[in-house]
Amino acid sequence: MTTPAVLLPEPVEPAAGSRVSRPARILGMVGLALLALVVGGALGASVIAEHPPERSVGSPFLSPSGEHWLGTDDIGRDLFAQLLHGARVSVSVGLGAAVLALLVGTVVALLAGYRGGWWDVVLMRLVDLALTLPLLVLVLVLTAFLGRSLPVITLLIAGVLWARPARLLRSQVLKVRELGHVAAAEAMGASSTRVALTHVLPRLVPLMSSQLVRAATVAVVVQAGIAFLGLGDPDRVSWGTMLFFANSSNAVLTEAWKWWVLPPGFALGALVLGLALVSYCVEEWAEPRLARNAGRRGRRRPRPTTEAEPQTEGTTLEVRHLSVRFEGGGRPVEAVRDVDLVVRRGRTMGLAGESGSGKSTLSLALVGLVPDPGRVVEGEVMFGGRDLRRIGRTSVARVRGREVALVPQSAMNALNPARTIHRQVAEAAELTCPAAEARARTGELLERVGIPAGRHHDYPHQFSGGMRQRVLIAMALVNDPRLVIADEPVTGLDVVNQVTIMELLGGLVRELDLDLLIISHELPLLARWVDDLAIMYAGEVIERGPVDQLIGDPRHPYTKLLLSSFPDLYGPRSRLGAVPGEPPDLSRLPAGCSFAPRCPCVGPECTASRPVLVELGAGRAAACFCAGDERVADLFVDPVAVAEGNPP
Amino acid sequence: MVVVAGAVLLNFALPRLAPGGPVDYLVPPQAGSVSAEERAELLDRYGLDESVPRQLVTYLGGLTRGDLGVSVRDGRPVRSVIAERLGWSLLLVGGAVVLSALVGTALGFFAAWRRGSGVDLASLVSVLFIDALPAFFVGLLLLLVFSVRLDLFPLYGAVPASEVGGARFLVEVARRLALPLATLTLTGLASVFVVARSALLSELDEDYVFMARAKGLDEKGVRRHAQQNALLPVSTATFLGFSTLVGAATVVETVFSYPGLGTLAFQSVLSRDYPMLQAVFLVLALIAIAANFLNDLVYPRLDPRLRAQ
Repeated sequence: MTTPAVLLPEPVEPAAGSRVSRPARILGMVGLALLALVVGGALGASVIAEHPPERSVGSPFLSPSGEHWLGTDDIGRDLFAQLLHGARVSVSVGLGAAVLALLVGTVVALLAGYRGGWWDVVLMRLVDLALTLPLLVLVLVLTAFLGRSLPVITLLIAGVLWARPARLLRSQVLKVRELGHVAAAEAMGASSTRVALTHVLPRLVPLMSSQLVRAATVAVVVQAGIAFLGLGDPDRVSWGTMLFFANSSNAVLTEAWKWWVLPPGFALGALVLGLALVSYCVEEWAEPRLARNAGRRGRRRPRPTTEAEPQTEGTTLEVRHLSVRFEGGGRPVEAVRDVDLVVRRGRTMGLAGESGSGKSTLSLALVGLVPDPGRVVEGEVMFGGRDLRRIGRTSVARVRGREVALVPQSAMNALNPARTIHRQVAEAAELTCPAAEARARTGELLERVGIPAGRHHDYPHQFSGGMRQRVLIAMALVNDPRLVIADEPVTGLDVVNQVTIMELLGGLVRELDLDLLIISHELPLLARWVDDLAIMYAGEVIERGPVDQLIGDPRHPYTKLLLSSFPDLYGPRSRLGAVPGEPPDLSRLPAGCSFAPRCPCVGPECTASRPVLVELGAGRAAACFCAGDERVADLFVDPVAVAEGNPP
Repeated sequence: MVVVAGAVLLNFALPRLAPGGPVDYLVPPQAGSVSAEERAELLDRYGLDESVPRQLVTYLGGLTRGDLGVSVRDGRPVRSVIAERLGWSLLLVGGAVVLSALVGTALGFFAAWRRGSGVDLASLVSVLFIDALPAFFVGLLLLLVFSVRLDLFPLYGAVPASEVGGARFLVEVARRLALPLATLTLTGLASVFVVARSALLSELDEDYVFMARAKGLDEKGVRRHAQQNALLPVSTATFLGFSTLVGAATVVETVFSYPGLGTLAFQSVLSRDYPMLQAVFLVLALIAIAANFLNDLVYPRLDPRLRAQ
């Protein structure tokens, strides 16, 4: 098997260059505008305001006028001038304290994360202490002892603010040290200071910038709070002191609140909101994973309006012309293209293909769970005599678990860590029967899949991967569904576990008389357990048929190559093959046959037009122009030649 | 435990770290000259003429007996003043923590469930906006609107001036609590909201949520699965927010002249009542530490993985 590469949700990743989602960009721009306004006011204070802020320039308690835009305060100082000059205090304290706090925090983080040992223990205890104490009260108490001039207050605020960035940066340092190239640099004997500065520090920058903005926000608020209490720098006019004087002269009880209370309050609000919005944006930039969540969901899928052809007699599931497309940001990705698939009553169906061939997306499309921004754009999913695409979301939800059950790909995380396994299985059972009966049935079934009764009320983390997969099988079967779709049911388990789990699943399927669709990239596994097999490549089914014939006499070059890449334990010894080249990029498929670029027997017709599935008799079909002739059967795969001719 | 010790030591060190001798703080230089004898007597009275380790031992001894010293301002034992105020503060801060946790979580989950929609964006922006306004400004606005304009709530205090009894007393207390509580709740709301929202968003991407949907649960059932796990970071944010709210309460209590520890701290700073200030700080720090400790207790109850086997 060639390198299994892309898992499906990848295309959702925002395209390079736009690491930040649109709403976040807008919020960030608004934030920047607010900040620009405040900083502009601070810088231009002496130019814009005609009056000095700290001297009486008129009679007290004046209402706004052309002379005094916001009126005057209780001793006749110009409020507009105070507002502008107040911006200077907030901006300088915010900036000063934040930079200082971040500096200390970064040094502490590097020391703790890099030196480790006692450094780490002592510094982190200190961080715990600083994080626990109530900030504002601490600064308040400290000003009482250490003085209250603006530089002192800035220092004090920085002195209580460093702990949070220190804690967060330290865990980032530890994470970065695990990275390959950093560990390599250390192993090669680079001095730790050098590694810390050249390799670790640059990786901290995103987190540092978001923490800088956060620290500035807190600094501004704390300074304003202290000034509001009348404990700020007595020589400097700030927004906090304006509100202090407004409050102490009972401005809220008079009309003066409109020009005395609101402006400094909202000015503070604008500054802090500006910082918060910018930090929201910066955080998303630093952690692009956050952006993935924004701006999706909620679109209704168009439903076909015409009637579907009736389902073929003797089939449990009949998929016709199903196509799924992902449209996230860049080029649309055709994950599933025009797929026909049939699960016959009483016969187990297998679906094989490389990672990224669209088989998992197909299985999700069957039960209406294609993740956003993917959507089923065409086709029919006939099950129980109706088209699941036509019956609507809510009705499909009622089919899931009850009639069609899914055993998912990642057993490790498919169980809720906070609930016992019994409760999670019983919860599914309760969809179709009363609670008491559901509990009884759950107990029975859990026992049947090999989980002893004493462990039914344990939590998922107490079970091994194989045991969890058993729980998931019980969960799928608890409602006696007619069809079970098992998506890589044993991938990630050790070989012994793989066999026992498959035997368990197969046995239960026979016992309960269900039909089974197994999806896997492991052909030998499928070959052993299924009756019919379909091979997927680049979102298409390229060959299908009864498993013995398909394995014994593959007609599509891809099937042939795929088969030759697995060792045969029992047959004659032969050289292992490999499929040359790399899996295709689903957003840039070639015009003709999608396998043509990797195909050893490619002809001129292959790049010109696209082959469709052609019936070959006895239930077999292949989508290849040379499926009928001898070229494929004679295809000799020399792995050495393949490797040399087509470097991976 | 280490943190508690740290807080106590810091508290002991604070006045001694200050520039100038402690006497300057006990008797401000502005208050006039202090003779050498008076100085010595003062030092003796507060035990400040002894060596630092001895002072520490005396201080710790006092603490274990619950002796917090005597208020410089009115000569009352610090302990009884604090005991008087503590209840009001706990009522206010405790109430705000509970309310902001409940409302913040509900709103955050609501927004996360409708991620990317107009409702989500609107609630995010409005919560950020409320959070941006300083607590005391919100308090002033509430006071302005509800007390001055609408005359719905009393302007200040925690208990009615005149003697009333029984249920009437409780109603009066509640009316006086309403505005400060609302202010403090709004202050604490944003941090809980943001954490709740992003926690649920990341849980919704988990495989078990997909599985819950695949096994046929309706949207409500699926949401319950995700919310249960999203509560973990929310609980931490709530308990850590305690410390922030204790700080914010200082300012909010001052706006509403609410007789809690915050106003006490403020008054002590103004009147240079250092024994009182030290004690208030210690108590507030202990409250915050206790909240942290509580979080450590609650967390394993929410996350079975942390429970002892």
